[in-house]
Amino acid sequence: MVKDRFGRRKFISNIMTNLAFLFLANTFLLKRLNSKTRPKIVIVGLGIGGATCLQYLSKISNLVDIIVIEKQNEYQTGPLSNLVIGNILERKDICFKINKNKYKNVKFIFENVRRIDVEDKSVIFSKNLKVKFDFLILSPGISYKNDILQGYSVSDKKNIPHCWDGESNITQFKKRLRDLENNSKIIITSPDYPYRCPPAPYERASLIANYQRKLNKKVKILILDSKNSFTKQENFFREWQISFGDEIEWIPRSKGGKVVFYDQKKNLVKNSDGQVFKGDFIHIIPEQKAANIFSDSDLLNDGKDWCEINPLSFEVNRFKDIYAVGDSIDAWAMPKSAFSANSQAKVLAINLINKILEKDYIDPVFLNTCYSFSKEDRAFSISAWYRLNITKDKIISLGSNESSVYANNNDRKLEAQHAFGWYETMVNDLFM
Amino acid sequence: MSKFLSYFILFLSSNLYADQDKTINIIVENCKSCHNLNIEVTKKIPDLNNLEKEEFIRLMTKYKNDKDNSVMNRISRVLTENDILKMADKIYGKR
Repeated sequence: MVKDRFGRRKFISNIMTNLAFLFLANTFLLKRLNSKTRPKIVIVGLGIGGATCLQYLSKISNLVDIIVIEKQNEYQTGPLSNLVIGNILERKDICFKINKNKYKNVKFIFENVRRIDVEDKSVIFSKNLKVKFDFLILSPGISYKNDILQGYSVSDKKNIPHCWDGESNITQFKKRLRDLENNSKIIITSPDYPYRCPPAPYERASLIANYQRKLNKKVKILILDSKNSFTKQENFFREWQISFGDEIEWIPRSKGGKVVFYDQKKNLVKNSDGQVFKGDFIHIIPEQKAANIFSDSDLLNDGKDWCEINPLSFEVNRFKDIYAVGDSIDAWAMPKSAFSANSQAKVLAINLINKILEKDYIDPVFLNTCYSFSKEDRAFSISAWYRLNITKDKIISLGSNESSVYANNNDRKLEAQHAFGWYETMVNDLFM
Repeated sequence: MSKFLSYFILFLSSNLYADQDKTINIIVENCKSCHNLNIEVTKKIPDLNNLEKEEFIRLMTKYKNDKDNSVMNRISRVLTENDILKMADKIYGKR
C-alpha cells in the first residue's frame, strides 16, 4: 500500500494549501493588521510547550512579531532522561541546541526572566532590561517546594541531584550511581500529586535496577511514596516481578511511605511515624509547584501552587493577554507530561491565532500518551483523550486506558519502539 | 425519561463528538505528535503519508474495533466512524 506518488501529491497539496493561506492572509488580514501596530507575541520558555507554540505561531510570523526568551541556548528534554540515567542513552541524545535558523522573523533572547510587569505588559530581565508584549505565553515549567521536607534543600549541591528538570546534573547523578558498591541500598522518595511526569519515579527505579544488573551489582531499591497509588501501578508491579525479583520495593503512604525528615550526613530519612530508613544513595524527588516566575509576578491565585487558566484559550485567570501552558498550569484531568504540553500548546497557539485574526475559537480536544520503560526493549503506556466540560470551564478525561498488564514480550518491545518513534517525531518537529 | 437522559449524557461524554470540522482539525494535529505528516522522520511509527486514504480508513476502523488494547486501539476507541471518515478527508483530501 506504499505509494510514492501519494507522497508527491500530498507534498504539492500541502504547498498549495500553504500558498492559499498566505494569499488570503496577505490580502485580507495583513492590510487590517498593518493599519494598527503588528501584535508582539513574547514566549517565555522554549521547552515542549513553548516550542510547540512557536512552531504554530511562526506560521503567521509575517503578521506578528515573535520574541522568544529562554535562559540558555541548549535544551535537555525531560522525556527519555531516565534512559540516560539508566545508561541506555547518552546525555547528548536528549540535548538540543536551539535552532534559530528554523524560524524566520523570530527574535531570540537568551536571558533570565525576573518577573512579569502585568500593568506595563512587559517581561523584566535580571538586569532590569525589559521587553514589552501584546500577548505573552509562559511555558517555564516547574519549581520546587523547599519547606516540605525538613533537612532538605533543593539548592544544596551535596545532595544527589533530583534530575527532575534540564538543569540539575544528570552526569553527576549517574556517576554516583555507578560508584555504588554491591548490595547497596537505594532510597527514592516519590512526591505527592501533582508533579511533573507522574510515572517517572517508578520508571527511574526500574532503569536504575536494570543498570545495576548490567554492572553485575545487586541493589535494593526502596520507593518511599507520599501517595497510596500511582499511575500504571499494575504494569510496573508486573515488570518488576518479571525483571527484578524483589529488588524494588514500594512503600505507600498508608504504610509509612511519607518522608518528613532528611539527614544528608547520616544518609537517612524518617517517615511521619518516626521510622528511620538508612540508604547508600538517597534520591529525593522534591514536591513541586509552578515555576517561580508565577509567584514572583503575582500570577497565582491565593494559596495555589499552579497557574489557573481558561481551558479554551489558556489565558491566565484574571490576567488579560497572558497565557500559560505545560507543566506550570492546573490542567484538571490532564497529567503534567510532555505529550500533554504539546497537545495543550497546539490549542493555545491555534486559538491565539484565531483571536488575532478575529475568528471563532475552536472547541478543543487534547490527547496524552505517556510511555514508561522498564528496560531498553520493554515499555508500556497510558493514553487518554480530553475535551472541555459542558460549561467549557474545565478539561475532562474521556477515560484513560493503559497497556495490558499481561502484555507479551513482543507487545512490550513494540511499545518501546513506539516510545522512541514518538520522541524522534516530536524533537524533530520542535528542535531540529 | 431520566434513564434515557443519563444514557444520552453518558454517550456524549464518552466520545469526542467531533461534529465541528474545526475539532477534526485539532484531532489531526494531535495525530501529528507521533505521525509526522510532512516528512518521514522515523521508521518506528508508520508514516501516514505512505498510506492511501482507503487504507487509512480501513486501519483506523480495525484499530477501533480491535480488542488488543494496543496504543492505537486505545486512542481510536473514542472516535466514531464518522470521525474517522472526516479525519481521512482532512489528511488525504476529499475525493
